[in-house]
Amino acid sequence: MKLDPSFIWTALVELLSAVPTTLNVTMVSILFGTLIGTIVALIRIYRVPVLNPIASAYVTVIRGTPMLTHLLLIYYGLPMLVNGLSDSFGWSFRAASIPMIGFAYLSFSITSGAYLSEVVRSGMLAVNRGQIEAAYAVGMTTPQALRRIVLPQAFAVSLPNLTNALIGALHGSTLVFSLTVVDINAKAQIVASTNWKFFDAYLAAAILYWGLTVLIEQLSGLLEKRINVYNRGGVA
Amino acid sequence: MIKLQNITKSFGRLQVLKGIDLVVEKGEVVAILGPSGSGKTTLLRCINYLEKPSDGEITIDDFTVNCKRPSKKDIHTLRGKTAMVFQQYNLFRHKTALENVMEGLVVVQKVEKEEARRRSIELLEKVGLGNKLNAYPSQLSGGQQQRVGIARALALNPEVILFDEPTSALDPELVGEVLAVIRNIAKEGITMIIVTHEMGFAHDVANHVVFMDEGIIVEEGKPNDIFVSPKEERTKQFLKRITPEGVYSI
Ligand SMILES: Nc1ncnc2c1ncn2[C@@H]1O[C@H](COP(=O)(O)OP(=O)(O)O)[C@@H](O)[C@H]1O
Ligand SMILES: [Mg+2]
Repeated sequence: MKLDPSFIWTALVELLSAVPTTLNVTMVSILFGTLIGTIVALIRIYRVPVLNPIASAYVTVIRGTPMLTHLLLIYYGLPMLVNGLSDSFGWSFRAASIPMIGFAYLSFSITSGAYLSEVVRSGMLAVNRGQIEAAYAVGMTTPQALRRIVLPQAFAVSLPNLTNALIGALHGSTLVFSLTVVDINAKAQIVASTNWKFFDAYLAAAILYWGLTVLIEQLSGLLEKRINVYNRGGVA
Repeated sequence: MIKLQNITKSFGRLQVLKGIDLVVEKGEVVAILGPSGSGKTTLLRCINYLEKPSDGEITIDDFTVNCKRPSKKDIHTLRGKTAMVFQQYNLFRHKTALENVMEGLVVVQKVEKEEARRRSIELLEKVGLGNKLNAYPSQLSGGQQQRVGIARALALNPEVILFDEPTSALDPELVGEVLAVIRNIAKEGITMIIVTHEMGFAHDVANHVVFMDEGIIVEEGKPNDIFVSPKEERTKQFLKRITPEGVYSI
């Protein structure tokens, strides 16, 4: 077998058309995952009655099962649920009108939410109790103290872990091929199927994923520098 | 005026405050003395509800909280009337000196931002930090951080400022600058309750001294009543232990 550099280049250019899909799935799962993760972290930190055991169960179950399994369970389970609800309430909505990528958004958000809840939780616990008391002492309510004092610092200390999660979500998004959603990876397969140069096509995909990952690392590095000014000294 | 009535507090089975009654007049500077573990910090923290008293009543001006069943709103109102300076400063680490002072004004008191900035700069200048407005806590010495903490408390324009051993986490050479700032604001007629081990400072600055031991107020009075002619044996012993021979004999 010989490498075909010009085909790798052609494939790379063709794969670019699938980048938005990959980024969409990645960003949606991280954004909603962070939202879910933050809520779950708050429930667990404040030991909210009833919800706390549910949140804990969510984290262990999701982290204890593969991402592909979540996707398949959602893919086969959600339509049963949706159609069942539709029937019993007499709605006309059918699961068939849910776009394929919707299953990916939902499933991956649930997956990342479990991992991110631990990231957010450890970030929040890194903010010392004294600052929260100081926030109360100046008269802030708990939501104000969380929003103004705790979460910004939790975000700053969590940034390396959030970057890891983002990269994980980028790579994990390749699982959408099982839904026939055309992301970078699926596109590589399509490109290769015309001339059977699978290795070259997947190599092009690898280069693209690596490039995106490096980009994420660079951006996160810049952000980290900006956000963590307060921890370093020597600026003022 | 601040009035504490029968404040009690237990941690589990350990009763830390055993019925504290205290009246602080407007403009008074109260020094609370007492051995470690006597409940001074707990008492101070009960006044702004960082610690929930088991029982008792807290009155600030015409506002009274019954500690048996306080509402969230009661606690919020109480905190709005008080400010606290912490032993460990507890500045917001991700905010500059100026932002630390502005925070309460903007977020809690909804003061317009430019106005809050102007007032905060004024206060930071007053505590001698006019040249550190944009420094983060990590870039400030302990003494400077504590002075920001004092400016943050002053900014709220509270009925009372609670100081919990404001200098005991500081290197000895930094204690003076913080005490000087507190002395200065004491002259302005702001009501203050200060837990301190600085006996000379308490004697000079306070006009009401309280001696606590084992969760009760053993003795209180004018500085001279306590420092020069204490009546209770426990007070005498404490002062003997903590002050060098002869300093307060006049
Ligand atoms: N959160 C807490 N949980 C349990 N015990 C506490 C807590 N805070 C303080 N105590 C206990 O209460 C007593 C009084 O503490 P404190 O008010 O800090 O005394 P002081 O400030 O006079 O040194 C001590 O025995 C201390 O161990
Ligand atoms: Mg103490």
